[in-house]
Amino acid sequence: MVELKNVNVHYSSGVDALVDVNLRINDGEFVFIVGESGAGKSTLMKLMMREIVPSSGRVFVNGYNLAKLKGNKIAKFRRSIGVVFQEFRLIQDYTVYENVAFVLRIADQSMKYIRQRVPYVLNLVELANKARNRTRELSGGEQQRVAIARALANDPGLLIVDEPTGNLDPKRSYELVELLKDINRCGTTVVMITHEHDLVRYFGGRIINIEKGSVTFDENIGGHDEDE
Amino acid sequence: MRTSNATYLVKKGITSVWKNFVMSFASFCILLVSLLQVSCTVLIMMNVNIVMSNIGATNQIVIFLEKDVAQADIDHVRAVLEKNDDLTDIKYISKEEGLEQFREDMGQYAELLDYLPDNPAPETFLVRVTDLTKIRYIVDIISSIEGVELVQAPYDFAEALVDIRNTLSVILAAVLTTLVVISVIIVSNTIRTSVFARRNEITIMKYVGATNGFIKTPFFVEGMFIGVLAGTAAWGLTWCIYNSVFALFDSELTVWRMFGLYGLIPFDGISWIVLAVNCAAGALLGAVGTTISTGKYLKV
Repeated sequence: MVELKNVNVHYSSGVDALVDVNLRINDGEFVFIVGESGAGKSTLMKLMMREIVPSSGRVFVNGYNLAKLKGNKIAKFRRSIGVVFQEFRLIQDYTVYENVAFVLRIADQSMKYIRQRVPYVLNLVELANKARNRTRELSGGEQQRVAIARALANDPGLLIVDEPTGNLDPKRSYELVELLKDINRCGTTVVMITHEHDLVRYFGGRIINIEKGSVTFDENIGGHDEDE
Repeated sequence: MRTSNATYLVKKGITSVWKNFVMSFASFCILLVSLLQVSCTVLIMMNVNIVMSNIGATNQIVIFLEKDVAQADIDHVRAVLEKNDDLTDIKYISKEEGLEQFREDMGQYAELLDYLPDNPAPETFLVRVTDLTKIRYIVDIISSIEGVELVQAPYDFAEALVDIRNTLSVILAAVLTTLVVISVIIVSNTIRTSVFARRNEITIMKYVGATNGFIKTPFFVEGMFIGVLAGTAAWGLTWCIYNSVFALFDSELTVWRMFGLYGLIPFDGISWIVLAVNCAAGALLGAVGTTISTGKYLKV
């Protein structure tokens, strides 16, 4: 569960990135967070992964009060969520397998578990055949899927995905959201940050719109799934 | 942490040395030069102390006893001198031996001594002090012994030598300290460059939940490994340089003896200590350098 209570984020540059945001995302939901560039979407993501703390207000994710986390507790919290970055943030010198496996090593999993889990998540994103490839040898779409596999490696309760379709063509974009929907159907809460309104309208579901740091829309809309 | 994951981190640290060969080699060279300079300076310091001790050992205190002193008093003086740990090479010269020595010193005029009514040479003790800084204190003690008439000591020589030794110690210590400080700065900066090149990797690890310890361990191992390699290489080079220089002073030339250049420390006697100290210092420098350098990139 994600809960933001009266959250304000004020940057030292004088920008008010978020203004009095109140938000609750329940376990098992699939939520699109939309908004124009500079609306505050990335700040929201940074808050949810404890990269920054709010200037005022409180943020709870997976039962953690993020403002109170310090040192290794931040690391422990981050292991409880999965994050997919817009620019993938994969270690380019590692193979696909290593990029996923090292998250499990960070979580101090056994070698036996790592050997079982990595092929499993790579299968989910249909990249099992590329396990031995270096990340830099993959296309943008494939790298995106490696990033998803890495985020899923620790079986997180919450998956935060930042602009995942930014580097993909439309067909790949729709496939990717389908994949995220499948992951959500398995019980993982998915928060997808995007500015592609067509995609959001197509899939429907809960949409949270952010404008100038404030939530201006938070409702469920019907998508193609419901139309069919 | 599981053994398998700890082993993975250690392996990752060692393989990083080869993966980042250029930066590793730069760190290795910097460490090698630093350790070589430090170990050579330490060896010079140790040998300077020996040379100064050799020169200092040529000091001699002459103790003249009172005229017609009784044998009991001579024995008493000898006993007191022998009990004193700061004295060495205690030598007794009787009146007769003294006169004989006098005669030899006078050469062709020795027969003049035959016209003297009695033997003018006093009973004498010759001693050396082991620690020149104590010479005045020791002379005071000797002067107060019953039966001692006069004590002559090379105060100027002793004090000049103590001054030279102190000045050299300060200079060498300053050089050593400067070298260590410069080494730490250069080594940390070199490693910082290496870490900077991998800052994205560190940031990614932080984002996916790695603890600072998990991130630092491979860098720490890498730094230590390079340090140990550089320490071993520095030891080998020190051995070559030292033995070449040592061979020059190892001969029994009078000129070397005059300057106290004998009894220098042979490298074989201390080679394992030098190796251990070099490796430990290299590992420490490498480890400290990486720890300082990675800290900045861990605040994510």
